[in-house]
Amino acid sequence: MSTVVGSRPALTWAVHLAVLFLVALWTLPTLGILVSSLRDKDQLAISGWWTALTASERNLVARAAPPEDAQPEGGRWVLTGNVFNGDGAAAAFGVSSREPSAFAAGDTAELGDGATVTVEANGDYVIAYPEKPDGKRGQRIFISSVEPPKFTTENYENVLFSEGLGKSFINTMTVTIPATVIPILIAAYAAYALAWMEFPGRALLLATIVGLLVVPLQMSLIPLLRLYNEVGIGKSFIGIWLAHTGFGLPLAIYLLRNYMAGLPREIIESAKVDGASDFEIFRKIILPLSFPALASFAIFQFLWTWNDLLVATVFLGNNEEQLVLTGRLRELLGSRGGNWEILTASAFVAIIVPILVFFAMQRYLVRGLLAGSVKGG
Amino acid sequence: MKTSMLAGAVALALSCSAAHAADLKFAPGEDARFNWKSFEDFKAAHDFSGQEMSLFGPWLSSDKDLIESVTAYFEEATGATVNYSGSDSFEQQIVIDTQAGSAPNVAVFPQPGLASDLASKGLLVPLGNETADWMKENYAAGQSWVDLGTYKGTDGTDSFFAFAYKADVKSLVWYVPENLEDAGYEVPQTMEELKALSEQIVADGETPWCIGLGSGGATGWPATDWVEDMMLRTQPPEVYDQWVKNEIPFDDDRIVAAIDEFGTFAKNDKYVDGGAGAVVSTDFRDSPKGLFASPPKCYLHHQASFIPSFFPEGTELGRDADFFYFPAYAEKDLGTPVLGAGTLFAITKDSEVARAFIDFLKTPIAHEVWMAQAGFLTPLKSANPEAYANDALRKQGEILTNATTFRFDGSDLMPGKIGAGAFWTGMIDYVGGKAAKEVGADIQKEWDAIK
Amino acid sequence: MAISSTITTPTTGSPGPGGFFVTLAIALFIMLAGIVVSVVCAVAVFAALNAILPDIKLVQAVLVMLLGVAACFGYFWGSNRILDTIYPAHGARIADNINKANSIRPWLFLGPAVVILGVYLVYPVVNSIFLSFHGPDGRQWVGGANYAWLVTDAAFRESMFNNILWLLVVPAAATFFGLIAAALTDRIGWGNLAKSLIFMPMAISFVGASVIWKFIYDYRPQGTEQIGLLNAIVTFFGGEPQAWITLPLWNSFFLMVILIWIQTGFAMVILSAALRGIPEETIEAAIIDGASPLQIFYKIKVPQIWGTIAVVWTTITILVLKVFDIVLAMTNGQWGSQVLANYMFDWMFRGLDFGRASTIALVIMAMVTPIMIWNIREARKDMK
Repeated sequence: MSTVVGSRPALTWAVHLAVLFLVALWTLPTLGILVSSLRDKDQLAISGWWTALTASERNLVARAAPPEDAQPEGGRWVLTGNVFNGDGAAAAFGVSSREPSAFAAGDTAELGDGATVTVEANGDYVIAYPEKPDGKRGQRIFISSVEPPKFTTENYENVLFSEGLGKSFINTMTVTIPATVIPILIAAYAAYALAWMEFPGRALLLATIVGLLVVPLQMSLIPLLRLYNEVGIGKSFIGIWLAHTGFGLPLAIYLLRNYMAGLPREIIESAKVDGASDFEIFRKIILPLSFPALASFAIFQFLWTWNDLLVATVFLGNNEEQLVLTGRLRELLGSRGGNWEILTASAFVAIIVPILVFFAMQRYLVRGLLAGSVKGG
Repeated sequence: MKTSMLAGAVALALSCSAAHAADLKFAPGEDARFNWKSFEDFKAAHDFSGQEMSLFGPWLSSDKDLIESVTAYFEEATGATVNYSGSDSFEQQIVIDTQAGSAPNVAVFPQPGLASDLASKGLLVPLGNETADWMKENYAAGQSWVDLGTYKGTDGTDSFFAFAYKADVKSLVWYVPENLEDAGYEVPQTMEELKALSEQIVADGETPWCIGLGSGGATGWPATDWVEDMMLRTQPPEVYDQWVKNEIPFDDDRIVAAIDEFGTFAKNDKYVDGGAGAVVSTDFRDSPKGLFASPPKCYLHHQASFIPSFFPEGTELGRDADFFYFPAYAEKDLGTPVLGAGTLFAITKDSEVARAFIDFLKTPIAHEVWMAQAGFLTPLKSANPEAYANDALRKQGEILTNATTFRFDGSDLMPGKIGAGAFWTGMIDYVGGKAAKEVGADIQKEWDAIK
Repeated sequence: MAISSTITTPTTGSPGPGGFFVTLAIALFIMLAGIVVSVVCAVAVFAALNAILPDIKLVQAVLVMLLGVAACFGYFWGSNRILDTIYPAHGARIADNINKANSIRPWLFLGPAVVILGVYLVYPVVNSIFLSFHGPDGRQWVGGANYAWLVTDAAFRESMFNNILWLLVVPAAATFFGLIAAALTDRIGWGNLAKSLIFMPMAISFVGASVIWKFIYDYRPQGTEQIGLLNAIVTFFGGEPQAWITLPLWNSFFLMVILIWIQTGFAMVILSAALRGIPEETIEAAIIDGASPLQIFYKIKVPQIWGTIAVVWTTITILVLKVFDIVLAMTNGQWGSQVLANYMFDWMFRGLDFGRASTIALVIMAMVTPIMIWNIREARKDMK
């Protein structure tokens, strides 16, 4: 194949560009929240993430110190301070919400009753009163400023340390590990029986399994939880392991059977001629040959259980001890819906593990898949 | 043999959640604002050492800390352990749990409609006439609170099932005092003045209102509060009651008129920040931020008492933001109606501790502890108003007690398919340009379908 | 040759109907005994080890995984052994024994899967059928009233229409993009990296995805700075910003884009494996005949992996039938974007009417019938 491509440089370029385009299209949305999660929360809410690297213009409202704190200075009562918490460059300022940028930086504005306010470009302000003022409510100062792009890891610190994500992380792992491995084994045997053993009702059974693929999960929740309560399992990790096994089985059997049915007939028949039993054929020939299919299903099942929300909310409790990662994320969505910075950071934390697992396993996947000849169907 | 081993393994598999008795927020006996006698009396009368009780509600994060600060006093008084868990998908979860038999002892319902549905399926335990009588006497407007928790059981007769605890006021308009001062506007006292103010702001070349109905899958709900408030300001409360029970159809002219009252604000491009088209797609959580923009995008925002949690960080109530009562028409002699909401506690799995917990909610201390922190109003007459944490809360408490008419959020009283479905969708369609009469007819059609 | 024919066609010398039931009884007995013994052993070991090991959830999870694997192997090995002991493959009645053992063995292999499928999927389906003939609380018999209601319900028709749209667009688009991605990435050096990046959305939960796509579809009124990418692009080119997910009919397509974005990775991984499995000889022969790369792809490669394409298509189709998370999170079926699975969810938890919800669920299941029939025919083909 490479010789074909090599002979046509124009085509090679086209392929590279096409892939680049696809990759860009597919990563752009995720890139968006990665960038967003690292941005300052005030900038995040008012400008697009793609503008993260440019300075942004902002109008903000600062409140000066209360008038009663004014100190006497040269016959006047003076308040000083800075309108910015961090860096910033004030271009204009104002003292009324009606005209928030009436004065250029460095000018002096009248506040009434002879009081004046001056705001410098670096944000330093001076308010001078002719008499000793009183009152606790500080003067509002409206600033138009240009802010440099700000990046912070604070969002992640907030999410990781104060929102109880760590515990949910462990809960999700606890759910995922057994729920990924156990169904594969059970499905592998069943798939072999459906692909290579003959018995009455085989086609019917296969059809049933395809039909069961489409059972809406929601329908099974109440009857199963009722069953759990009657048996005494209730809401527990055992219950959710079994549930994920049950819900994952049809697709596992379907995919594995299709793969196994595509394995070369000659190998299996010759083993049978040699007197190998079905159990031996399965263990010594089918299992090693289907490793790639098992690995790829393992990845899918891992992703599903990791990302599952519905099964977890029903079969596990909602308390701190049992809440899984997706549940935590959803609660953040609900109770902190306005806080984009929390949402983006926690969404990214939730997807990072599946992505790492995929990157780690995918080398395996591709290599393994090459070993078997897939006829498909 | 097999089951017992399985059960053993299950018990082991469940990680033991050690009971963590939260420290008491206010030391008993120390602050004179609190009714410590009620606490000591309750303590003397109950002892459930070593027993447990599960409590399930919609509260998360900071609200969760608040309810746990209250249950800590119950734990201290009785020795029992209260395991609270919260979920923002409470509505679905409680249905699954009660149907499947893994119900918590006590559930906290934000919507009476849902509690009523569960009661009719026999999934709630009646609290008894004694508690109903107590509530009638000790709550301001007691009968209306009793009615709120009274539903038909499996046998079709009415019983008292749900205990109202924690109220919210919905008829509030939020604003930034200095912005009104800068422009020389006054806080309106009547609906006529409010409408005149809106006109005035438009005439000055600005935009009076920020309205956002967006809420993901629940988009549309803020509009239901508007319509309910308008119903109470254009019709007597009896009509309101008939409306939420569907004794008069949704496309009745009186209801259509109330919807159109809402439309005079929301469907007017000049009145709303971003124009009428932005109303549906603006998130209700982002909407109030327009008040604080520089220059302000709007001057007024109609929303319930919880909204300050979505104000910009550092906003100080009373100084940076304030609220006034969403006024009634002066010409329509309907008094000062107030729309509210609240949560209802119901027993979903009977136990001695659960019963005692409901009794605990009758003590003033159970109310005062939360009042003294945040976001809690109570109609309990014996609770000390001094205990309110700040002036804003006290002012809302006053609005609640000064109400000549108090009505519960109608959409929460309607069946879920209407109050949390067709009504929302109808409001979206309405703001999107459909006529109020048509919208009402659509909703009525859906209501007929579930009868 | 004679031996192999008796082995591969075990039913030939099989006993009559009475014998069939004896076989079935034995199979059932071994299966259940095997399952019970292995589960009890695993639980016992778990309980014993748990007393020693620290009370850390992750440790328990790993332990459960190991024991689960051990129990599975124990079951399959043990039940196989029991079968061979009952019908030893030696002695006087060797042929008969082998036949009998071979008619039982498939059921031992299928046993655990059938039991679990029965409990977790068949039982709920039967329960749904029962509920679909009952009123909201599942107690009162209403006959076909729920089905009659469904036919007249406007929201159901809307969901049905949208579902058909989803079924037409999503599997086709995801498979198409997956095939393109698989074919192209196999030709370049950084293909694996590209594959990983395209696969990435698969790793994102629906909840996470809805956060991500809010940053694409977000809408701010005209005149304010857009923070949604799509509106930023539109306004950059002078267009008017739109509240994308509130535009009837169009919004369904915007939601579909999300699912296509997620599922393309799945299609790509499976199709890429199939493409690599195509025998080199067929391609070389085509090259010698002077076929262009495009011709090779469409005329040689695609027909050879047709079966795999069908599997991918089927899998995504089934996923589409069940899709509700995206719709629930983005629109909850408002603005005319309702789909069946979400509509069912709505009737179940908002309408609290299990009868109607079950009826809708059965409709969803009925929609899979053509796919089932097609799959059986395919399966029959390769069994022959």
